[in-house]
Formats: sequence, structure tokens, C-alpha cells
Amino acid sequence: MFKRYLEKIWVQNLALLALTGLVVYYFAFIFEFKYDFDWAVFVVEGQYGHMGHLMLNGINTTLTITLYSAAIALAMGTIFGLARLSSFKPVYWFATCYVELFRNTPLLIQLFFWNFALPYAFPEEIRFKLFDMNFEFWCATVGCGIFTGAFMAEIIRAGIQSIPKGLLEAAYSSGLTFPQTLRKVILPLAFREIIPPLGSEFLNNMKNTSLAMTIGVSELCWSMTEVYSLTYRTFEAFSVATLVYLALSLSIAGILYIVNERLKIMPRDRITPLRRVADILFWPLDFLGRKLEYVFWYFRKSPDQRTVSPFKQFLNRLGKDLTKALKFLFVAAIAYILYMVVMALFHFNWEIIGANFKTLLIWRFPEGDETEFCFGLGGLASSLLMAAISIAGSFLIGLAVGMGRTSKNRVFRIPCLLYIELIRGVPLILVILWFYQAILEFVFKVDVQAFWAATIAMTFFFGAYIAETVRGGIENIPAGQVEAAKASGLTYLQTMRKIILPQALKQMLPALVGMFIAAFKDTSLAYIIGVMELTRAAYAINNRIMIYPFEIYTTVAVLYFVFSYFMSLYAKRLERKLSPETIRIEM
Amino acid sequence: MRVLKITAMAALLVMAASVAFAGPTYDRVMSTKVIKAGLSNQGIPFGFINDKNEWVGFDVDMATEIAKRLGCKLEKVVVNNNTRISFVQTNPPKVDMVLSNMTHKRVRDEKIDFSITYFFDGQKFLAKKGTVKDAKDLANMKVGSMQGTTSIVNATAYLKELGNANPQVTGYDGEVAMFEALRSGRVQAITTDSTILLGYAAKVPGQFELVGDFISDEPYGIGLPQDDSAWRDTINFTIQDIWKDGTYLKIYDKWFGANSQYPFPLTSKIEMWP
Repeated sequence: MFKRYLEKIWVQNLALLALTGLVVYYFAFIFEFKYDFDWAVFVVEGQYGHMGHLMLNGINTTLTITLYSAAIALAMGTIFGLARLSSFKPVYWFATCYVELFRNTPLLIQLFFWNFALPYAFPEEIRFKLFDMNFEFWCATVGCGIFTGAFMAEIIRAGIQSIPKGLLEAAYSSGLTFPQTLRKVILPLAFREIIPPLGSEFLNNMKNTSLAMTIGVSELCWSMTEVYSLTYRTFEAFSVATLVYLALSLSIAGILYIVNERLKIMPRDRITPLRRVADILFWPLDFLGRKLEYVFWYFRKSPDQRTVSPFKQFLNRLGKDLTKALKFLFVAAIAYILYMVVMALFHFNWEIIGANFKTLLIWRFPEGDETEFCFGLGGLASSLLMAAISIAGSFLIGLAVGMGRTSKNRVFRIPCLLYIELIRGVPLILVILWFYQAILEFVFKVDVQAFWAATIAMTFFFGAYIAETVRGGIENIPAGQVEAAKASGLTYLQTMRKIILPQALKQMLPALVGMFIAAFKDTSLAYIIGVMELTRAAYAINNRIMIYPFEIYTTVAVLYFVFSYFMSLYAKRLERKLSPETIRIEM
Repeated sequence: MRVLKITAMAALLVMAASVAFAGPTYDRVMSTKVIKAGLSNQGIPFGFINDKNEWVGFDVDMATEIAKRLGCKLEKVVVNNNTRISFVQTNPPKVDMVLSNMTHKRVRDEKIDFSITYFFDGQKFLAKKGTVKDAKDLANMKVGSMQGTTSIVNATAYLKELGNANPQVTGYDGEVAMFEALRSGRVQAITTDSTILLGYAAKVPGQFELVGDFISDEPYGIGLPQDDSAWRDTINFTIQDIWKDGTYLKIYDKWFGANSQYPFPLTSKIEMWP
């Protein structure tokens, strides 16, 4: 009886409205905020200048970094993604090193390395020249670009490799040359595979630029911090920054949505209005593509042209020699870099590393005060602990929200959707600050140590991401199974528990391990609220010793790398176990 | 499933144990016998982490002494220049007092309360030895300071006064980053309270020197929750007691005495109420 009512749309809308009403009523009348809002700080000139202008300035810098670093990332990603497919081993190894190294260390550590350690690798004159050129800004921009580039390279490689072997064989046996196969078969299919995840990398890149604040670039997060530390208006500053980030994320997501719509294969009679809009927007590109076809057609080769004249043969030989020389040069360059790295390692002050290694692993456990978190536990141990707790918690959130997100009932679906999109549109650094300085105190009225605040923030943050993974897993289960379950009389929860979730979870396992790696790397952001995890411990040690930044940041990077890399190997093995069919396209 | 339930319960318990209760600070502190103090961990020599990874400094010693005299345990909470005000401003306050080399300013006093002045400092500039002959040289230098402090505002105003219409002052994230900027040559001078400059300059002896005059007075006060006079009185009396029996001088000499690493003569007296 009740159930049948809940299936009606108007009942669902009414319930949603009632829910919203309840929330509004609670916060407006029952809840004691104990905080007086003053939005005027952004429009009036205060003692320390105009805060609104400060924020605008921050938005401008954020946008600039985002655009530049996205361009750098795309270039790096394409080059290294293709290099990962190379049959020439040194190129492949080099690209693999780049991808694995940068994907498995936190961006924050990379930024610290570029900013604090790299300048000391140059002689003094060059260093001063560098510092004259807005070094921090470029450090953040290039740093974000290189970081995101590693992820894009992996996406591009995976996209190209995702082409089924049969299609290639079919293309070759119907007489297409490699360039033709590339143009007609590989790229169109690969693009469909590549562009959606590439788009979300652009989004992540935008959010990651918020880390530039840690090295003193006055972007949006920096401006926000400046505003609340000068005017003590925490809520107002946070809200404005969050809204701006959400707006930026939503606009990027909107663009991605249109692009994805354009990429979908639709039957001609079922074209959606949005697709029409997308078609209009993409018309110039389509036009260019069609005209290019003529160009290619004009330069086509007939089979008899493929016989080689002596001159051509000479050219071919020259080309081959040139490639060989290039390859040799490349190997020489790699050898030189390796030599430099080995020499640098040789000159490392290993004593410093040895003396501080234990500190990096556990900080001062168990000698800390009893008022400290877990007797002064910190360093790598607390990073791992934080990641483990938050992923365990966010798995529960993700499961519930992911199920709600796939539900047909609006009462469940819309709140879950809002939660996911809200959290995913905001940088983690901002989520942590929100939780530590605003939500836990004002809304939940609890006061917890920084470690727990960061863990709770990360739990809610990763909950949204896991929910998306769960949704993907659930939606991948063939609809027939659900119908069969319904037909055999199982309730919704039974269907979920006995049929859908066991299969979906198994498929999601590699993604979950990946999420754990991401969480482990992101614990470095708890740095911002002073949790003594690995990054903060390294920072504190570097602060004390001052003259060995290379040694310390390299050690920390290696620690992060070792853990993330081995977990990612594990994830890969899981993935292979679950889907054994992959091939390797070589170029 | 049962394991999950137990874990969830345990987690809830842990959270509940650390929940603080609202109410006037004095009553709360006296009933729980724990004082939460907001301290910096980057401000040499006020609060920093030493070679043995211990959190020490003048402010830390003062906080420990205050807690000892009130018969309470001290819980140290990290604050930085951006959070030191907001942590006592919330209700209930995240920390009961903030000792984070914070200048007592009227603007800040609108938001939180301050104890009597417990340390007297002033803002100066630090530069490489020999680069600054005259204060005027500073005008066209790239200067570093810290985000969220009044030092950055003072410095910009001072450089403008010296005749540079568009001074380049960068706000770094904390003392470490600021000093790093000076050491690596990103900026030619840094500016903040002179004792902190001394503390960092002592890390690489002989390379840097304080230049120019004090450009502002910086009397430090302990940040306290707004409108809680019982608590404020307790803190004020305790500071005066610490001064009266000579403990203050002992702590001062340990950090700033003639034989210490950061010599800085004591010029003023703490305000005493008979």
C-alpha cells in the first residue's frame, strides 16, 4: 500500500520538499548557530584592504594556473602515453618511470620538491634569475601539469590499448595500411574511450591547483585563508571559495557532458536535443575533419607506388640511420641522467636520512605526551592509519550512497546525487578545512583532534568517489538479472545483497584498491591543519635541519612511492585476474 | 557484520570521549583539569620542534607554567597565523588560550580577549649581511613576510613610506617558508617580529643580520575567549605570579638571555596589580 504510493512521482516530490523543509526548519529555528554572519566584508574596504578584490585576484590566478597546467598536462600526457606504447625499450622504460613516479607520490610532496629542493640544484646566478621570474607561480603550474600529465598518459595508453585485437586483424586483412588503421579504426574508438576520463582529469587538475597555496601562490585558497585570517570571517570566506570552486567544477563538468553526448553512438531517429546542440558546437571540427579526408585522399598511394625507386631507397636508408642516431642520442641522454642521479645519490648525506628515518616512520611514538594523538604517533604510520580508517568509513558511505544514487526513487536518488556532486566539485583541502574549522564545531558541536578531523573529512570526501564507483559497478550488472530476481520474488534489498552487490563489489575491487592509494597520498593534505603525518613530519624535520631539503624530500617521496606502487601493482594483478583479455598495440 | 558493528561502536566511543562541553571556560577547565593551549610549531624560539622532536619554546614554557600553577594538564594544539584567532573565537572554543607570538591589536580585541602583555617585541627586517647599509635600501627590495599576520600589512605600509609606490611583499605560509625564501634568494629581506627573525638567523650563524629600526611595537598577549572574565582574570593573575617569583625571568633567560642562542635584552616590565 505504502510502497505503491512511494512509486508515484508526486509523492516523491512531496517527500523531498518535506525533507528540505525539515532541514531548513532545523537550521533556522532549532539549531543554535552562535555565529553572526557578515557578508559585507567582501564589498567594503576594510582596514587591510578590499577583501572582494583579494578573492577576485585569487580566482584569476586559479584560472590562469588551471589553463596553463591543463595545456602542459595534455602535451605531457600525449607524448608519454604514446611513448608507453613504443617498441623501443628505452623510450618505454623512460615513459613508464615518469608515469609511475608521478602517479605514486602526492602532488604536495612534488610541489615541495620543486619549490624547496630543486632551486639548490642550480648555481646561484641561475637561481636568482629563476626567482626573478615569478618562480612559485611557474613551479605550481608546471608541477600540476606534470602531475596530471602522468595520469593522462595512462588514460591515453589504456584507451589505445583497449582496441580489441580482432578489429585490428580485420583492418589489416582488408588491406588498410597502418596510418589508415590508425585514422579509421584505432583513433575513433580510442577517443571514445579516452575523452571521458581525460575530462575528469581536467576537473581534478583544477581542484589540485588549490595546493599552490602551500608554496605561497596567491590563488583562490590562499586568498580565502588571507580573508579569514585578516577578518576572522571563517564561514563567509569558506562559503565564497566553495561556491567559486563548485561553479568552476560545474562548468567544466557541463562542457564534458556536452562532449560526451557528442561521442555517443546514437541511432539517427533517436537523437536527443542536447546532441543537436553538441553537433552545432562541434560543427567547425567536423567540417575540418571532412575536408582533411579530401587531403588524405589526394595524397593516397596506389599499390604500384609502393615499389621503391633508388632515390626513395636512399631516403629510406637515410631516415633509418637518422632514427638510429636519434635512438642512440636518447639512450646517451638517459644514461647521462641516470649517471647524474646515481652521483647525486652517492653524494647524499645518508647520515641525516638515517638519523631521521625513525622519526619519519612513527614521529615520536611512544614518547609523546598523553594529550597528543596516540602518544605522538605520526609520520608514515599515521598516514597509513588515516587512509585505512577513512577508506573503511567511506566504503560504508559509498555503498549506501551508491545504492541510493541508482535507486529509481527520487527521495533517495536526489539527495545522494547532491552529496556526490557537491563533494566532488570541491578540492579536498577545502573539505578538510571545512570540517576542521567549521562543520565539526558549529554543526555537530564536537571538538576532535586534528587527526580525527582530517580522517572524518577524508571519509566523507572519498565516500562520494566510492559511491560513484559503486554506481558504476551496479549499473554494469545486466538488467536481466534484476528482472529475474524480481520475478522470483526477491525484495529490493535482497536483490542487492544476494545478487547485485556480490558481483559489483568483485568488479570494483581494483578500483577500491586504487581509491586506497589515492587516500594514502591525499593524507598529505592533512598537513594543512597540522596533523603530524608523513608530509608534515618531513616539513618539520626540514625546518629544523634546513640544509638538506633534497635528502629529506627524496626520502619521503620514496616512502610514498614504495607503498603506493606496490599497492597499485596489487590492484593491477586483481584487474588482470578479473579480465584476462588484454593485448598490446605497438607503435 | 558483527565486526563492523563493534568497530562502529568503538569509533563512536572514541569520538564521544573527545567531545567537549560548552560553558564558561573557567568552569570547564577547572572541572576537566585540562587546559588546551594553541601554540605555534614554526615560530623559533616561541614554539618549535627541536632536534629531539620535542615541542619547545618560550610560549610552550609559559603555557606549561600556567597549566602547572592551575593544577591542570596541558594539551598542546597546533595553531598557525591563520587559525590562532578563530580557534578561541568559536563557541565552545577549540583551545582555551593561544600563545602564538600574537600581537595584542585592537582589531583583534574586537573578536577575542587578550591577557596582559607577556612579551615585548617589535617588527624589524632581516637581510644578508652587508646588503643593507641604510633603511632606504629596503624600499626597492623584494620582501617576504607571512600570510595572515599584521607584519605583511606593516611592511607594505613602511616600504610605501620609504618611497616605493608599488612594494613587492610576498606572504609566505609560515615562518619556515619565509626564512627559506630569504636563504635561497627568492627575496632580499624578510620582516616580522624581531625575536623570530633572531631565532631563524641563529640557524645559520653569521650570514644574516637585523637591519633598520623597529617599524612597529608588538606587545604579545595571550589570546582568550571573548567575554569570559573569570578565565581572563585567572590567566592575568597567573602571569603576574609567574613574574613575581622570578620564574618569568628564568624562562626568559633560558630563551633570550645573554648566554642563550637568541639574545634579546628584556626592556619592559609586565604590568603588575597590587
